[in-house]
Amino acid sequence: MSAVAPARPMTSSKEVDCAREPIHIPGGIQPHGFLFSVDAEGLLLQASANISLLNGRPAEASLGQPLQAVLGKDAAMVLDALRGLQAEGTPLYAGSIEDPRGAAHSPLAVVVHRHLGINIVELEPARGTADVFSSMYPLVRTFINSLHSVQTVAELALLAAREIQRITGYGRTKVYSFDAEGAGHVIAEALEPGYPSYLDQRFPASDIPAQARALYVRNRIRLIADADYVPVPLVPARHPVSGGPTDLTYASLRSVSPVHVQYMKNMRTLSSMSMSIVVRGRLWGLISCHHHSARVAPFEVRTACEHVAQVLSLQIEAKEDHAEAEYRLELRHTLSRLLASMANTDSFVDALRQDPRDLLGLTGSTGAAIVFNGRVERVGEAPDEAAVAGLVQWLDTQPGTVYATDHVAGLGAAVLPRQPECAGFLAVSISKLFRNYVIWFRAEVVRTIKWAGDPRDKLSGLSPSLSPRESFEVWTEQVRDHSAPWRTAEQEIAVEFQTALLGVVLRRAEEMAQLALELGRVNKELEGFSYTVSHDLRAPLRHILAYMDLIREEDGARLSERSAHYMERIAGAARFGGQLVDDLLAFSQMSRAALRLQTVDVAAMVGKLAEDSRAEGAARVEWAIGELGTVTADPVLLHVVLQNLVENALKFSSRKERPRIEIGRRPGEGELAGQDVFWVRDNGVGFDMAYVGKLFGVFERLHQQEEFSGTGIGLASVRRVVERHGGRAWAEGMLDHGACIYFSLPRSPAAPAGAGSDETAAETLARLVALSPDRRRQPVLKDTKEGT
Amino acid sequence: MLRPILLIEDNPNDIELTMIALQKTQISNPVVSMRDGAEALEYLRRQGKWASRPDQNPAVILLDKKLPKVDGHEVLKAVRADPSLKRIPVVMLTSSREESDLLRSYDLGVNAYVVKPVQFDDFMAAIKDLGVFWAVLNEPPPYAL
Repeated sequence: MSAVAPARPMTSSKEVDCAREPIHIPGGIQPHGFLFSVDAEGLLLQASANISLLNGRPAEASLGQPLQAVLGKDAAMVLDALRGLQAEGTPLYAGSIEDPRGAAHSPLAVVVHRHLGINIVELEPARGTADVFSSMYPLVRTFINSLHSVQTVAELALLAAREIQRITGYGRTKVYSFDAEGAGHVIAEALEPGYPSYLDQRFPASDIPAQARALYVRNRIRLIADADYVPVPLVPARHPVSGGPTDLTYASLRSVSPVHVQYMKNMRTLSSMSMSIVVRGRLWGLISCHHHSARVAPFEVRTACEHVAQVLSLQIEAKEDHAEAEYRLELRHTLSRLLASMANTDSFVDALRQDPRDLLGLTGSTGAAIVFNGRVERVGEAPDEAAVAGLVQWLDTQPGTVYATDHVAGLGAAVLPRQPECAGFLAVSISKLFRNYVIWFRAEVVRTIKWAGDPRDKLSGLSPSLSPRESFEVWTEQVRDHSAPWRTAEQEIAVEFQTALLGVVLRRAEEMAQLALELGRVNKELEGFSYTVSHDLRAPLRHILAYMDLIREEDGARLSERSAHYMERIAGAARFGGQLVDDLLAFSQMSRAALRLQTVDVAAMVGKLAEDSRAEGAARVEWAIGELGTVTADPVLLHVVLQNLVENALKFSSRKERPRIEIGRRPGEGELAGQDVFWVRDNGVGFDMAYVGKLFGVFERLHQQEEFSGTGIGLASVRRVVERHGGRAWAEGMLDHGACIYFSLPRSPAAPAGAGSDETAAETLARLVALSPDRRRQPVLKDTKEGT
Repeated sequence: MLRPILLIEDNPNDIELTMIALQKTQISNPVVSMRDGAEALEYLRRQGKWASRPDQNPAVILLDKKLPKVDGHEVLKAVRADPSLKRIPVVMLTSSREESDLLRSYDLGVNAYVVKPVQFDDFMAAIKDLGVFWAVLNEPPPYAL
């Protein structure tokens, strides 16, 4: 019985034809009643051709006659009702009258309405002439009384179906709801023996064309007494006032579309009645009654059914609202818990990740990804990082802050590779500018849909003209690649969450700004402090040395040997103090000065350093300099690095018989991919790896002062400069077997904001002076006549 | 008479040491020392108690950066802004290695910037170089009367 096939588009040109049929102006009515149009004085303007049955004269002969000529004394009541109409549309029950042909015929209910300025009077069979409302109340009382005992919408629907069947005696009463695509799903059914069941089956959206749906919202009940009926035409065909066919939108006798009649016959139904379930102004579903034989529901019954449908509509609305409100409340509780846990941590991303239950519960998801500041945090069943990155890239191109789909596969594999764990997603952007998103994922839900007939066959067969489908055999379809749809409440709570996150992010940004301000102030203080140290601490050290020199110069000969030795010690201490101050300042400069990146010829820089060392007497050193090329770096700072490393290598290998210094470069690997690694290796005294952690500390020394001079600032400077470039510095060594200092530099360093490379010569010089404390600077001369 | 060297310096040790250094270089220009910027400007402008000094600008001004009242940069700025003083060679002689100080001095039109060396013999050498260059070798600009 079941065929399995993927869904495919169900639109065809025929369906479009069907949707174009002007069903509101059929030009005729069903034969079980009578319809007239009268003017303000009650003269007949248009009448259904069967009026002749009432007064024995052809319809044409009745035109222009007063209504009284047809209805006798009852005409006055009808005209009163017409005059009493408050608004257009909505039909008004005027009362019930005896059939003018006599008691052998059933009484007639008179319903009047005005539409587009035209007065319309309908007569339809009724049970009796008594007040319709008093006869209707007993019909619906049971239903109303039972309402409080049911909880769910499905129970409500079943109650309504049974009630309608009891009132009307139709063979089958179905209640169906429309899904988002407009397909009808039978949720309740009441059957007489011999009627096939359609429970839980679906009818494709195309079974009810769009204009019919629009009509069903306005006119809430339709009755087709006999599918085999011959429509009774209106005479004349065109209304004398409007000059066009009369709009029968609100007429209950309206003749229906031949396509619909054929559809009924295909379903082996000869009479039908359907009531609209309208919830929040939208066609939510239908109550549909079918009978194998022709059947006229009396007016009172019809009215009672209409009433039941209205009560059902209101009840569904209330139940849905209630369920929705409860769900929203639950989501809101989850949201407050999430926000509370976020507020208690420094990193809200961590808070979200550590509390996956609430994060996922917020939208009823099975996985989530938080994309924040370039980081992707995954929770539950989420696509891998690369897939999330691809999705984010696509989301960036989408308008709005929220995007939801229950069918990822429909977007294409380029957006997100197909996987059953993530068949649908709901994404909110916290900030598009910074590509910050929270994305929830839902796993695939494979649904088996029982169609009442293959929906694709709807328009096949029969005739070349409009024709509905013939087969209502159960046809099973498996819907794959879909998640459960995202409910409005879930999408709304996601937006609220986004707003709250934005608040958190903004607050963080404010805190950061505050911190930056604070940092700026502290830095300023530090600069002031450095300045004081630079100027005020250097001065006394200078003075000590100067006066020491003067004593030695003037009275040196008269000093005892011991005193001369003490003097030497004082001078040495003062010199070292001066050096410490200068080094410390240079180090702080290295941290504060702006990076000015440009292409630097490392090979040339190292070549010059080696050459200088030869000139200063380190001629025995064997140099092994590899391919060094160029890098993007701050030339002044990089010079500090290389100079320190070369000087260290020279210093620590100076006692070797054959000092050897090797300098090289290679591409970084692993963590250092995208960087270049440089190294300076010597065969000197080396160091114990146990102390490698101290090597790069400020004023840390691994050798005694008497062995090797120095303040211990060199490698600290190296590390500081390298790290400011985005690189790393590390060392390897072995006692008595030399040391190797490595540093890495990114191939494409991030240019610091606002730093230009257009440094003037004076600026470069100023930086050199500030960063090279142990270099003697000649006075900087400048011709006084220049520029005057 | 040789034009004087004007030393603007507040630290008595530095004044003494600079004097000694200048003496040892055997530069014969007289040395005038001022303890703060305000006093120095009065001297240069021949105001107050200096109103009667001969109308002769110094051969060179040796200027410390850090001074009470009016600091070195302000003195430099005032000198460069004064039409009758603006051509006097000014040498910044300071303890400060601050990059920003150096740049500001050049921006204000300093002729030379010397960081006082820690070693006294280096200091002597620097003072000697300065004195010889600015007071002896340098051809002073022709002063309008």
